Amino acid sequence: MRTSSLLALLASAVFATAAEDGAQIYNSLCGACHGPDGKGLNGLPPLVGSEWPKGAPARSIKIVLNGLSGPVEVAGKSYAIDMPPQGAVLSDEKIAAVLTYVRKAFAGGAGPVSVDEVKSVRAATANRTTPWTADELLKAHPFPPPKTALKNLVGTMYKGEWKTLPDFSTLKPALMEDFNVGVIDVAQSGQKDAFAMVWTAQFDAPVDGKYNFTFDCDDFGALYVGGERIAEIKGIGPVGKRVKEVPVILKKGLTPIRVEYVEYAGQEVVVLGYKGPKDKEIKWLSKTKAKVVKEKVFIPIEAKDGVAAIYRNFIDKTTPRAIGIGFPNGLNLAYSADNLAAELIWTGKFMDGGHHWTDRGAGNEPPAGTNVIKLSDGPGVALASGEGAVVRFDRTKDDKEWKFSPVKLAAEFKGYDLDKAGNPTFRSAGEGVSLSDAWTPAAGAQPSLTRTLKAAGDKPLVVVLARDLAVTGASDASAELAGGLVVRVVSGPALKSDAATKTLTLTLRPGETAVLGYSFR
Amino acid sequence: MKNLFLLLAAAGLAHAAPAAPAKAPNSGKLATVDAVRAAESRQPEFYERVEIPTPAGEVCEVSSIALLPGKKVAIGTRRGDVWVAEGAYEADVSKVKWTKFASNLHEPLGMFWKDGSLYATQRPEHTRLTDKDGDGRADSFDTICSKWGISGDYHEYAFGSEPDKNGDVWMVLCLTGSFHAHSPWRGWAAKITPDGEFIPVASGIRSPGGIGHNDKGDFFYTDNQGVWNGSSSLKWLRPGSFQGNPTGNKSAALANFPAPPEPTSGSRILAERLKFPEFVPPAVIFPHGKVGNSPSGVACDMTKGKFGPWEGQMLVGEQTASQVQRVNLEQVNGLYQGAVFHFLGGFEAGLIPVRMDQEDGTLFIGGSNRGWGSRGSKTFTFERVRFKGKVPFEMHDISARADGFEVTFTQPVDAAAAADVKNYTMDAFTYIYQSSYGSPEVDQATPTVKSATVSADGLKVRLVVDGLVRGHIHHLVLGDIKAKSGDALWHSEGWYTLNEIPAK
Repeated sequence: MRTSSLLALLASAVFATAAEDGAQIYNSLCGACHGPDGKGLNGLPPLVGSEWPKGAPARSIKIVLNGLSGPVEVAGKSYAIDMPPQGAVLSDEKIAAVLTYVRKAFAGGAGPVSVDEVKSVRAATANRTTPWTADELLKAHPFPPPKTALKNLVGTMYKGEWKTLPDFSTLKPALMEDFNVGVIDVAQSGQKDAFAMVWTAQFDAPVDGKYNFTFDCDDFGALYVGGERIAEIKGIGPVGKRVKEVPVILKKGLTPIRVEYVEYAGQEVVVLGYKGPKDKEIKWLSKTKAKVVKEKVFIPIEAKDGVAAIYRNFIDKTTPRAIGIGFPNGLNLAYSADNLAAELIWTGKFMDGGHHWTDRGAGNEPPAGTNVIKLSDGPGVALASGEGAVVRFDRTKDDKEWKFSPVKLAAEFKGYDLDKAGNPTFRSAGEGVSLSDAWTPAAGAQPSLTRTLKAAGDKPLVVVLARDLAVTGASDASAELAGGLVVRVVSGPALKSDAATKTLTLTLRPGETAVLGYSFR
Repeated sequence: MKNLFLLLAAAGLAHAAPAAPAKAPNSGKLATVDAVRAAESRQPEFYERVEIPTPAGEVCEVSSIALLPGKKVAIGTRRGDVWVAEGAYEADVSKVKWTKFASNLHEPLGMFWKDGSLYATQRPEHTRLTDKDGDGRADSFDTICSKWGISGDYHEYAFGSEPDKNGDVWMVLCLTGSFHAHSPWRGWAAKITPDGEFIPVASGIRSPGGIGHNDKGDFFYTDNQGVWNGSSSLKWLRPGSFQGNPTGNKSAALANFPAPPEPTSGSRILAERLKFPEFVPPAVIFPHGKVGNSPSGVACDMTKGKFGPWEGQMLVGEQTASQVQRVNLEQVNGLYQGAVFHFLGGFEAGLIPVRMDQEDGTLFIGGSNRGWGSRGSKTFTFERVRFKGKVPFEMHDISARADGFEVTFTQPVDAAAAADVKNYTMDAFTYIYQSSYGSPEVDQATPTVKSATVSADGLKVRLVVDGLVRGHIHHLVLGDIKAKSGDALWHSEGWYTLNEIPAK
C-alpha cells in the first residue's frame, strides 16, 4: 500500500514534469505560429479542430522531425506554409513531450506519445532529408473516415458498357459488399472503366426539416431519397457543370437512400452531400467533395485617378526583375530589367496582389487580365553589327548563351523615371551607348500605348520588339504580332521582320528616336 | 499539478532559488519565458513604447525605416510602398501626417536618406529614389546595383545597411528557400559602392534578418537557426570571412575568389573554425527558444546615453517574440564575442527593422507577422521607444577574463549579496554544427563561480569561474542581487558566447 502510493506520487511527478516540459517546448517553439491556444495565428494553421495531430502519432512525429512543405488543408482551410523541421533540434524525449502536450491540450484528448514511438519513426525515416508534403503524409497516414449520416452502406457493382442508366433489376451483380464506412467512394468498386455501381444506405436525419442534397457524377447516375428519384445526371461528362441541388423534406430518423452510378470511360467521380436544417456548410457523403479552395483574396492593383499602377514582384512569363505597369486605359506592360525588354503586354485587369501580399507570397503571379502576349524572352537590345546585316537572336534549348548576329551588348538596367501620370521611361546603358524606352497610354476608341525609344552613344543599337512570335503583314511601317497586337511606326526607322526566328526588330542610330504605337486589332 | 506549475513559475520569476539542476541545464528553464513576460510588465518604468498610427486603410507591413531631415521618418513596407511620416517624434502621434513617396517596390529591406534621395535595398536591386519635381513623390528610380542573382524564390531576401564611412552599403543575401543557392551570390554578404560596384565580402550566410554596424564601424548581421546554424546569432562580417553555411560557396568561382571552407557536418563550430582561419564564429549566439527564435534588425546605441546607459551596445529585433534584445560586444584575440540580454518587449507584431535616431535617442521599430508568426498579434506595426530617464538596475555587460567574467552593473550593487557566490548560477553548452536544421543544446558543462568580488564603486563584480569552456555559451543567472538603492534587477540572465578565453 505504502509502496504503491509512493509510486503513484512519483509517477504523477514525472508526468507533471513531462507535461510542463511539453508545454514549455510548445510555447517557445510552436506557439508563435500555431498560437498559444493552438488556434493558429495570422493565417498560420491551427491545431485545434485539425485532424492532423489526432490518430496514430506517426503522422505528427514525421511532421515534427522533418517539417512540412507546400499546400496543406487544415480544418477546412488551405495553407501554403513551410513548417521548419525540428528533428535536429529536439530529442526524442522532447518530441514525445511536446506532442503529448499538443494532443492533450489541442487534439481533444488524443493519447500520449511515447519516446519509443518517436525513436522508431526517427529510425524509419532516417534517410529523409526534405520536408514532407501533405499528400505523402495522408497517403501513409490517412485520416479516419468521418462518421456521417449514411448508415448500413452497401455497394453492388455491375460490369458492362452503358451510355444511359440501365434497369439494374435486370442485371447480374459482379460484386456486392457491405462498407463499414459512411462515405461513398468510387474506389469501392475496384474498377476503372465500363462498370456501374449502386449504393444503398439509410440516411439518418437528426431533425425534421428540409435537406438540400447535392449530387454530381462522372459519367452519369441518379439519386433516390425515400424511394423517389430526386436527381439524375445524364450523358457522358465530367463533374462540375451538371451539379444537381435538390431539397427534400425529411422526418427525423432513417430514410432509405440509393445512388445509381455508371462509369463509361475516363475519370470516375461521385459527389454526394447535403445541408440539413441546422447545417451551415455542406456535409459530404462522398470521398470526393467540391474541393476546399483557399479563400482567394483578390487585391486589385490598378491605375487610380488616371495614374498608372506599378508592380515590382515576380510576374509569370517574364524574369524575376520584372516591372509591371498598369495603364489607366486598360493596357498593361511588363518590362524585364534583366533583359532590358518589354516582355508582356495584356489587356484588362493589371495584377492581383492577393497572392504575393498574403502568406509568404511564394511563386510567380500571372497577369490578372486577358490577351497576354509574350513579346520576347531574350535580350531586348544589342549592338547592330552593321548596315544591312541580318538580325538574328537565337538559342536552342541546349545553348546556355544567346547567339547573336548583332553583337551582344553588355548593357545594364539603370532605372526608370515616372512622370506625373506614372508613365515609365526605362533606362539602360553600357559600352558607351544608352537607350531610353518610354511608354504612355494614348486616348482613342481603341486603347493603345505609345513607345518612344531614344538611342544615344557612338554605336547603332538593335531593339528587339518581338521574338519567337509569329509576325504577319509586316512592312516598314507596321506589323501584326500573333495574338492580334499591332505595332505601328509613328516616326523613326523601319521595322525589320525575320521569319526564321519570328523576330521583329528595329535599328537606332546614335541620337535617333523611334516612336511606335501598340494596340490590339 | 497546477500548483506545481505555479510554484515553478514563481521560482523562475524571482530566481530566488535557481531551479536548474546542475546536470540538466535544459530542464528547469521553464522560468525563462515567464520571467521575460514578468520583466516586460516593468518596462514602462524605464521605457515608453508608443504605437505610431500608420496611414489609414493601408497595409503597412514595415520592412525598413529611414530617418529623413526635418524629423521625418520613412517606412518601406513588404508590399513595397514607401511612406513618409511627419510628426512621428511628437507627443501626440494621432496627428502624424503621412505622404506616399513611392509604390510597389520589391520588398525593400533596408533604407536610408542621403544627399536628398532615399536609397532602398530591394529584392532585385539597390535603388536611389529621388523626388526631382518636389511634389512629394519619387519620380526617378536609379538602379545603383543589381549584380546579384534572383531566381524568383520568395526566400531570396536582400537586406541592406546604411552606408559605411566610405559610402558603401553592405548587404546580405538570403539563400534560395533558405536551403539552396539557385542564383549567384546567394548566401553572401557584399558591399555596394556609391558607383554601383558589387564587392562580395563574406560567404557562409543562411537566412539573415537584418544588418548594421557597431560604433567601430564593423558590420554585423543576424542569421537565423536552420541548416548549419544550431541557433540564431549575431555574426560579424569580417571582410573575407566565412560565416559557417557552405551552401553558397559555389559563387566564389564567379569572381575568382578563394573557395570558402567545406566544413564537416556534425562537428562543432570551434573545431571547424580552428581548421579554417577564415571561418569567423558567431559573435553572440541567441539560444533558440530562450533568447528568441528569429533575430532581425540590428542597431547600435550611439546616443550617448539618451537611450539609457548602453552606449556602443547592439540592439537586435526579434520576429517571433516581438522583442528587442541587447548585446554587449568585445574583441578577444581578434574575434568579437559578448553577451545577449533580454531587453524590450511587448511589441505588437513580429519585428523586422530597428532604427535608432542617434541624435534624439528615439528607437523606431516596425514589423509584420505575415508568413512567420509572432507573439505580438497585430499583422503589422510601427512603433517608437524612448528612455524615460530612470536607469534600470541591470547587468550592463559581461566581459570575459582569463579565469572568469566581470559583470558590470548599471547601478552600484548591494555589496553583501553581490559578493555571495550563491547568487550566481552558471551553465554552459554549445550546439552541433551540422547540415541539418538547427541543433539541440549539447556538451553541457557547469562552470562554478568560485568567488565574486565587488569593486570599490560597487559597479563591477569580478567572478572567478572554474570550468570555462572555450566556444561554449555561458549562461549566467543572477540570484537575489539588488542595487544599493534597493532596486531589483529588471532582467537576471545573460548568455555570453565565449569564442576565446582572454589571456588576462
